Amino acid sequence: MSEEMKVIKTAEMQKIEEQMTMLVQTGRIDNLIDLMAVVSDQIEMTTTPMAEKMVKSIDNITTAGFVTENAVRYAMRENTNNEIPSMFGLLKLMKDDETRRGLAFMLNLTKGIGKQLS
Amino acid sequence: MKRRILIVGGGTAGTMTANNLAKKLMPEIDKGEIEITMISDSPKHIYRPGAMYVAFHKSHGNEFIRDQRSLLMLEIDFIVDKAVEIKAKENYVKGKSGTKYEYDYLVLATGCEVAADRIPGLEEGGDWFFSYEGAQKLAKKFEKLKKGRVLVTINFPKTPNIPHQCGIAPVETTIMLHDYLTERGVRDNVEIIYTYPKNAQGVEDGLFLQTPTSNVLPTVFDGVNVKYKTSFTLNRVDAQKKIAYSEEGEEMEFDILMATPPFIAAKVIRDSGLSEARDNEGWLPTDKQTLKVKGLDNVYTLGDTVDLAVSKAGGTIHNQTDVVADNIAAEVRYGYPTECYDGKVIAVAQMGLSCGMPLWYDYEEDVQPTPCSKLGSFVRLGFNKGLYWAAARGML
Repeated sequence: MSEEMKVIKTAEMQKIEEQMTMLVQTGRIDNLIDLMAVVSDQIEMTTTPMAEKMVKSIDNITTAGFVTENAVRYAMRENTNNEIPSMFGLLKLMKDDETRRGLAFMLNLTKGIGKQLS
Repeated sequence: MKRRILIVGGGTAGTMTANNLAKKLMPEIDKGEIEITMISDSPKHIYRPGAMYVAFHKSHGNEFIRDQRSLLMLEIDFIVDKAVEIKAKENYVKGKSGTKYEYDYLVLATGCEVAADRIPGLEEGGDWFFSYEGAQKLAKKFEKLKKGRVLVTINFPKTPNIPHQCGIAPVETTIMLHDYLTERGVRDNVEIIYTYPKNAQGVEDGLFLQTPTSNVLPTVFDGVNVKYKTSFTLNRVDAQKKIAYSEEGEEMEFDILMATPPFIAAKVIRDSGLSEARDNEGWLPTDKQTLKVKGLDNVYTLGDTVDLAVSKAGGTIHNQTDVVADNIAAEVRYGYPTECYDGKVIAVAQMGLSCGMPLWYDYEEDVQPTPCSKLGSFVRLGFNKGLYWAAARGML
């Protein structure tokens, strides 16, 4: 003699069951479980030193972004507020310490790239 | 007419707020209508939550210190000068250099400081991880520890309903200590006792300042063999005999006393006459919604200086800074503030060396403890070692 069991489900549980059924029927569930396994494996295989190195790279990128954003805003404002300089005016810009420091940085940056290309 | 915004303090609160203000008010800055100035007593910026990792040799510490100028947008004038006097009625702050910094809007972001001398014997007998020097000292002691007892004590400000700095830090470091000693293979020979004061904001005879977490902690501590005791309000330490005494009349011996010491506001705030806090602790009377200093229409405050019941932590400041910046920007543009702080605090607690627990709460809802995870620990690590600097720069 078989017994019938009555399971009371909330509307939310019913909805989840229907959607899961759809995933099983269409075969998508296999891919999703594989994806979850891949994510889980990545977490398992990541060590604290690995995470620290990745974070450092992100920090370097955001720092470069911040420095660049600042410089671009400054340059835009100066260009907007000043006339286009003459050749002599360009030379006068070079009298400024910060301009020369920036130029020296760009030249050293170029050398740093060059050293890696040789 | 050019309006001047002055920010006092180059910590997390001051730096985030200065950058957020510059971003929000960029059109006015471009037109030369707004000037933002920050004064700080140091050319360096220190990320304080990093210190607790130093205590367990998980960081050296130098990675948490950067040049303050490198964190500020170019539009912010940065001056190294210690604020020594606030003249709110005359709208200026005086620096140690003698300079008077006049303002139209003022942001007081001077944080809080350790006041271990308020507990007799604590300076000589106790250790804490709330500064890098203190954490380095503690790290050397933990490295040598082979057996004995580590006693954890926590002191709250005497002013009612004000938390100590970073409410969850004593729990975090207790479990980190367990993990560290386990790694070193000496945990079985070291007894860890976590104590908590009788009154912790709204909680009496508990283990944490919010009831849901207080109720869960016995299970957490049992799982890592940490002993715990409530109603131990530290009021004296005998550094020679290595005994801690409580207001409730108990005493406990220790080999290392890992204390959360009393905290007070910065001296310039305590001397300003703006605070009504008990024992000259200096907490600023703060409107919980606008974050204005009560009674002063053009002065805002945030972070560890306020007299609000929310945590004195970076996860609080990150949610307060946009309210302050939006309100000042609104005052500049419309003449009145438009935003309200809802008490939101978001953080990831370091529950041991490799487990992170996300947490959030606000004025209405307490923290609901959730299981910690390895992924949570990576999120915390990511914030500590990288994302914090982006957040300080107003990029996050």
